[in-house]
Amino acid sequence: MKAFATLFRNELKLSVRNMNMVIFAIILPLAVLVIQGFVYGTAAAFEGASFSFIEQSFGALCTISICAGGLMGLPLVVSDYRERKILKRFKVTPATPSIILFVELAIYGLYALVSAVTIFAVVSAFWGARFQGSLPLFLLSWLLTVTSTLSIGMMVGGLAKNAKRASVWACVLYFPMLIFSGATLPFEVMPEQVQGVVRFFPLTQGMQLMKSSFLGVGIGVESLLPQMIVLVLVTAACSLIAVRFFKWE
Amino acid sequence: MREVIVVSGLSKSYGSVRAVRDVSLSVSAGSAFGLLGPNGSGKSTVAECIVGTKRPDSGKVEVLQMDPRRDRRKLFRRCGVQFQDCEYQPEIKVSELCEEFACLYDRPADWRALCARLGIGDKADSAVRALSGGQRQRLFIALSLLPNPEVVFLDELTTGLDPAMRRSIWKVLNELKAGGMTLFIVSHFMDEVEAICDEICILSKGRIVFRGSPEKAKATAGKDNLEEAYLALSGEMGGLR
Repeated sequence: MKAFATLFRNELKLSVRNMNMVIFAIILPLAVLVIQGFVYGTAAAFEGASFSFIEQSFGALCTISICAGGLMGLPLVVSDYRERKILKRFKVTPATPSIILFVELAIYGLYALVSAVTIFAVVSAFWGARFQGSLPLFLLSWLLTVTSTLSIGMMVGGLAKNAKRASVWACVLYFPMLIFSGATLPFEVMPEQVQGVVRFFPLTQGMQLMKSSFLGVGIGVESLLPQMIVLVLVTAACSLIAVRFFKWE
Repeated sequence: MREVIVVSGLSKSYGSVRAVRDVSLSVSAGSAFGLLGPNGSGKSTVAECIVGTKRPDSGKVEVLQMDPRRDRRKLFRRCGVQFQDCEYQPEIKVSELCEEFACLYDRPADWRALCARLGIGDKADSAVRALSGGQRQRLFIALSLLPNPEVVFLDELTTGLDPAMRRSIWKVLNELKAGGMTLFIVSHFMDEVEAICDEICILSKGRIVFRGSPEKAKATAGKDNLEEAYLALSGEMGGLR
């Protein structure tokens, strides 16, 4: 536990010093929010809706940071450490693959949390967004989205031969998920064929969960449970693969 | 005497290149062992097979009666390693790097004291990349000593250090040896080997061409200094003949 805390603190310092994630996981989502805020203001999501457009996009805005950390930050850091032979140094110590991976997971989880909190603070202060749904359900949905996306990142980072290959994989996962699962374009405006494909992204499931639980629409156990199970399974499978087939070199 | 490192019949190829062929050696507790040989003779491959970062094609390796690959976590609580390539996270400071490695052990040595002993005690707040090559080298020696190891592997440990600093490192290593630590050193420098090692092994093209004490090497080759003896024994006289 002491080792985890020390590694977490030091790796977090390194990550903040590097600034990339501060920009992509904290500042970028805020910028998207501010733009949407100026465009849509407090307008209703559609005629007669009980929630505003911007309340509807809260879940999507949260995923920008989750995506940046899980599909760019985490896999690139781990594979960069492999390429620089830093992991090789850890291999000749009692460190386990899981402590290395889960320290990074915790760091990017923290970025996602900071981003969610700042987005909520700004959107409620300036555009009067209110939380209308179920808080426990929203928190659970957020947590599942974070763990499933970050565990995909752990898998890519744990297995990729080098940083170059990881960054190809990161781009293949990051951009389609960011663009099509509703983080930037609302899911509802996409053509049906596209919707049919992106439905399979775990991030799409997570975002739908966050949206319903934030807005308080359609939050029956029957409708949310299958999506939650999918996310739990993705998390379990990817973490297991990442730890089991971890490459030190 | 108890054998701390036992290697028997170790072979390793990279594609069609046979880097190491049938190497057997043993190192007894509290002694210093020097692995010598020209570039490309397989020294680092042997060292990496012993610490388990490379998998031998055949042969057996035991360190402290453990298999370095199967018992990795148990072994490296009691064993330190300094690799030839000193790599570190960009942006990391000396204190942070030391903390990261110290926290992995149950009862680590005090890294501040180790750094002070190796002459970099005033560098704790510096960025690792801002250190000179020699300072960085000493930092990585300090890291390898963090577990209070029973055995430590040092690959090219004083490359890039000035003469005074090399001597001060030898002194530290001889003190550690006197305290019962077993040293496994991969080196190019005969003065270093003579100052520290009780036994040496010379590799040439992946095979052992000599094993014994530095004195025996000189006697065998009929030379009065170790460097001459080494060149004769490793067949590396080149154009000087």
